[in-house]
Amino acid sequence: MPTARLANSVLGSFRASSFRPALWRQRCLYHSYEYSQPAPFPPAESAILSSAIAHVPNYGFTLDALKLGARDAGYLDVSTNLLPRGVFDLVNYHLVMQRLALKDSVQFPAEGGQGNGKKLGIGAKVRTLTLSRLRANEPIIHRWQEALAIMAQPSYISPSLAELAKLADEIWFLAGDTSVDTSWYTKRASLSTIYSATEVFMTQDKSKNFAETEQFLDARLEEVTKVGGFLQAFGEWADFTGHSAVNVLRSKGLRI
Amino acid sequence: MNAQIPRQLLRRQLLVGGKRRLAGDVSRGFSSSVRQTQQQTVPPKIPRDAPATTHFGFETVAEALKEQKVGAVFSSVASSYDTMNDLMSLGIHRLWKDHFVRNLNPGRNPLTSPPSSEQGWNILDIAGGTGDIAFRMLDHASTINNDAHTRVTVADINVDMLAEGKKRALQSPYARTPRLKFVEANAEKLDMIPDSSIDLYTVAFGIRNFTHKDAAIREAYRVLKPGGVFACLEFSKVNNPLFDAVYKRWSFSAIPLIGQLVASDRDSYQYLVESIEKFPSQTEFRDMIRKAGFLVPGQGWEDLTGGIAAIHKGVKPAK
Ligand SMILES: C[S@@+](CC[C@H](N)C(=O)[O-])C[C@H]1O[C@@H](n2cnc3c(N)ncnc32)[C@H](O)[C@@H]1O
Repeated sequence: MPTARLANSVLGSFRASSFRPALWRQRCLYHSYEYSQPAPFPPAESAILSSAIAHVPNYGFTLDALKLGARDAGYLDVSTNLLPRGVFDLVNYHLVMQRLALKDSVQFPAEGGQGNGKKLGIGAKVRTLTLSRLRANEPIIHRWQEALAIMAQPSYISPSLAELAKLADEIWFLAGDTSVDTSWYTKRASLSTIYSATEVFMTQDKSKNFAETEQFLDARLEEVTKVGGFLQAFGEWADFTGHSAVNVLRSKGLRI
Repeated sequence: MNAQIPRQLLRRQLLVGGKRRLAGDVSRGFSSSVRQTQQQTVPPKIPRDAPATTHFGFETVAEALKEQKVGAVFSSVASSYDTMNDLMSLGIHRLWKDHFVRNLNPGRNPLTSPPSSEQGWNILDIAGGTGDIAFRMLDHASTINNDAHTRVTVADINVDMLAEGKKRALQSPYARTPRLKFVEANAEKLDMIPDSSIDLYTVAFGIRNFTHKDAAIREAYRVLKPGGVFACLEFSKVNNPLFDAVYKRWSFSAIPLIGQLVASDRDSYQYLVESIEKFPSQTEFRDMIRKAGFLVPGQGWEDLTGGIAAIHKGVKPAK
């Protein structure tokens, strides 16, 4: 043991000279619209991944889609080595980009605005946002089981869950929930569970315009309201079934 | 002289059961020409940071000599080379090499790739000596990616290692096909390889022996096409202190002795062990790759078996 310690101190002189430029890190910016948002991926990765996503409907979340994306972006097949997690990086790109897109794809009428008169409660907003995020999977829904299988691989479970937590957080934030009490975790946990269950349901949904997925989501939200009595106490879920409100928004041309 | 004390102390403690020959005390492993120059120009100890010196294991030698000495080491271990790798990697270097190659996934699958003028990858395997990596690359391209065009150029500074590789090639389907080529070359100066001509540059267990690692990385950058990949498999720094201690004890004390038994060449093995110890840490090496202009994937490397070895990669930016 002392030998190793000595070796370390001798070698320390070499290591000390190392410098560490800040690693490109995707920052944990949940609530991005409050300040200007740095690009979520470095430029070369971004170029390859965004081109690759376009090939997912035809090729799935596969290495082939990645290679085609690399080619489209002016890179080579071998350049996919830039993505250390391979196809999981492609899945992750979709997850991150769709989470970040949420704030632009759903806009709620301004507080106290005219129109339908009744303003949406937090629960209804959560429902709307969740549905909107699910609908973002529509173009690739026939490939989503592949993605789920990739996310279920041992080394990707933890980053996938972390991304799911960020999505739940983003949805609560965009819905206007500002509470910082003990319900914080429960709310995020229950929304995460509901979201992933509905997402899986959606991969098998053959109904028109995913009507059954919508019903499935509503049923899950209802369960939480009934079972999780304490959530109800905060009244946040109470009005999620405000279908009327959603229909009003739809009539205003909102894609939800 | 003070600066030498810790090193000698270290050596005494690490080399359980066998004192090490000093530089002047010549081993039968080195060729006679090396022996002579060595005796004339290498005083037993030179401070390691003196200008024109470099590391030959823990011995500090004049730079011009390193190439020669490295040559001598590999000439003397060329044939028992696999045994050495087995010892240093606790028997798992073959798995690392498999992983290295599978992960790079060489080859262009004609069934799933859109038609294009290019067929297959152009791979350069530096310090490829025995052809170990090259055969794996070609096997992977052929069997996994149905690619009959991917080709590998094996480059090594040492003719004995190349001869060993050529001999083994005869047992493979690639001998005398345009898919496999052997060239004698120094990684620091690859004049025979044109700019921007290579898809994948690999170097496995080789770079720690180069006198100017940064020059070699710059050459890699030059010969790679935009978008091309530099990939390096090398012994590295064990992360877990306890495992590190155990591994060091194993590598410094046991291996040279076993080396002596299997190859009757203790000094060559001693050099190999020390050169591993001297190689930069994962982060330092990652930063060297970045400095040459490469983009690095993620954190820049992947540790294998707790850091006994690591794979570093860099991608040459397109445009
Ligand atoms: C430990 S062997 C690795 C062989 C093979 N790549 C493998 O993984 O089994 C190291 C090789 O590096 C070669 N080498 C050392 N210095 C070199 C240099 N400057 N340029 C090219 N090859 C070099 C040696 O001749 C030797 O064949």
